[in-house]
Amino acid sequence: MSNEVTLMSVAKSEWIKFRTVRSTNVSVFIFVFLTIGLGVLISWLVRSHYSNMPLAQRLTFDPVSTSLGAIIVAEFAAGVIGAMFISSEYTSGAIRTTLAAVPTRVRLILAKLLVLVVSMIVVSEIVVIATFLIGMRIFSGVVPTVSLGNGSVLRAVLLSGVFLTLLVLFSFALGVILRQSIASISVFVSLLLIVPLLGFFFPQSWQDHFQKFEPINLGGSMMAIIPNPQNFAPWGACAVMAIYVAFLLVLGTTLFSRRDA
Amino acid sequence: MLKIDHLTKQYGDTLAVDDLHFDVNPGVVTGFLGPNGSGKSTTMRVILGLDHPTKGRATINGVAYRDLKEPLREVGALLDAKSVHPGRTARNHLRALAASNKIKRSRVDDVLEFVGITSVANKKVGGFSLGMSQRLGIAGALLGDPGVLLFDEPVNGLDPEGIRWIREFFRSLANEGRTVFVSSHLMSEMAVSADQIIVIGRGKFITQGSVDELTANAIGTVLVRTSDNTKLTSIIERLNGTVHQAHDRELTVGLLTCDEIGQAAFAAGITVLELTPQRASLEDVFMELTAGAVEFGGGHIETMRHE
Repeated sequence: MSNEVTLMSVAKSEWIKFRTVRSTNVSVFIFVFLTIGLGVLISWLVRSHYSNMPLAQRLTFDPVSTSLGAIIVAEFAAGVIGAMFISSEYTSGAIRTTLAAVPTRVRLILAKLLVLVVSMIVVSEIVVIATFLIGMRIFSGVVPTVSLGNGSVLRAVLLSGVFLTLLVLFSFALGVILRQSIASISVFVSLLLIVPLLGFFFPQSWQDHFQKFEPINLGGSMMAIIPNPQNFAPWGACAVMAIYVAFLLVLGTTLFSRRDA
Repeated sequence: MLKIDHLTKQYGDTLAVDDLHFDVNPGVVTGFLGPNGSGKSTTMRVILGLDHPTKGRATINGVAYRDLKEPLREVGALLDAKSVHPGRTARNHLRALAASNKIKRSRVDDVLEFVGITSVANKKVGGFSLGMSQRLGIAGALLGDPGVLLFDEPVNGLDPEGIRWIREFFRSLANEGRTVFVSSHLMSEMAVSADQIIVIGRGKFITQGSVDELTANAIGTVLVRTSDNTKLTSIIERLNGTVHQAHDRELTVGLLTCDEIGQAAFAAGITVLELTPQRASLEDVFMELTAGAVEFGGGHIETMRHE
């Protein structure tokens, strides 16, 4: 039997590491709790005020995006999960022990990615489906509801889980590049929140061109059932987001392979 | 066998390792001795593929670390004992390491038992003392039952009992035919635990040999007590010897033999009361060899002696 180190053996090791530190477990718990808990709160508020909403707002009401509104906050928990998965190894110095056991650096990154993708897609999809279904129960009778049986509704709900998973990878890639938890999370938050704010200083015609490229708007497109003509179509937005992630991962892995640990 | 092949490592403007070239053979404990900042840890990191060499290479049985198929089964290393996530338990840390190299889970309990930390195996590593962390690091190094073992300053933080344990442990690993490479800045430690010693300073190779060989080549000092120390001092200085006032009435003379000192005293009519040759210790040799190569020298050499 060969005992050669393989992608799967490293992924197994990374999976043990992923679930045996409290910081990951707490972050995942916050991620789940925020999405569902805040989602319930938002849905209740919408239900109680729906009758007072202006007609124009009611005509463009999107039950999917509204019930999943808490995702905008859960994004930050996703950022912490992704960045910490690599940056905590640098902070503690554990990266040296890890690399002594797994000297092929590309393999280590791929194994960590595998663990993040598989675990976070499962968690994210369960959370968004649960949040959506609870939201529809709360809306029912007062606010218009939609069902997962509808193709574009199913797409919107599932893509919102994909969006959260892509954000985890986005932040993981930043962690690989920056190697520090605080720096990585700060840059992550800046790219999500501050860059869109800076956009407001530019002329409206520029904003119209660039806003659709902002991660938050890409996520909005992915989970909308009423398309915004200013933004990308859902799958287009998903592709742009995936390109961002791929770019950062390639950059991060290149640096990771070249740098001294 | 471990081979360091004209290894050079530069960090920015700092030359950490300068053309190091030596072999570390199996079956003996090889000490890697040098003052703090002399490039020992850098060399260890390059051996493990953590840092890229600027020039040259390090190989394990002819293979660069990064090309090893089963790294933990070939090389076990303890670098910084604190290179462990503080929030993980000792057992989970070792389980993750074992899984990456397809090492059986039962082996984790075996090595925990061997280093004597089974009772704290389910405690978080962050709360460990340095000594316990060292033991955990050793457990990690032993996981794959490797033929080559590297230890960077393993004695740090261990209590006297632990130090004795680790010396016997190195000895038994070497007796089993393994390659054991241990770095230290403590010459006294190396004198008792290593068979072969490689001395470096400021990243450069200085010398290599057994403890006996290293001390035999060095010239010892002579303790002298005479009726007129002042007069003898000036004579010795004229003969290019070195004089150190040890006590009120004693001189420590270097670079001259007993015969030369005795004859010089007799010729000057000084009564010699005592003339005792003092064999150089490994510590003296080390001081002499690395005198120009101490990165962060203290004002007086005494400062180097205590750690």
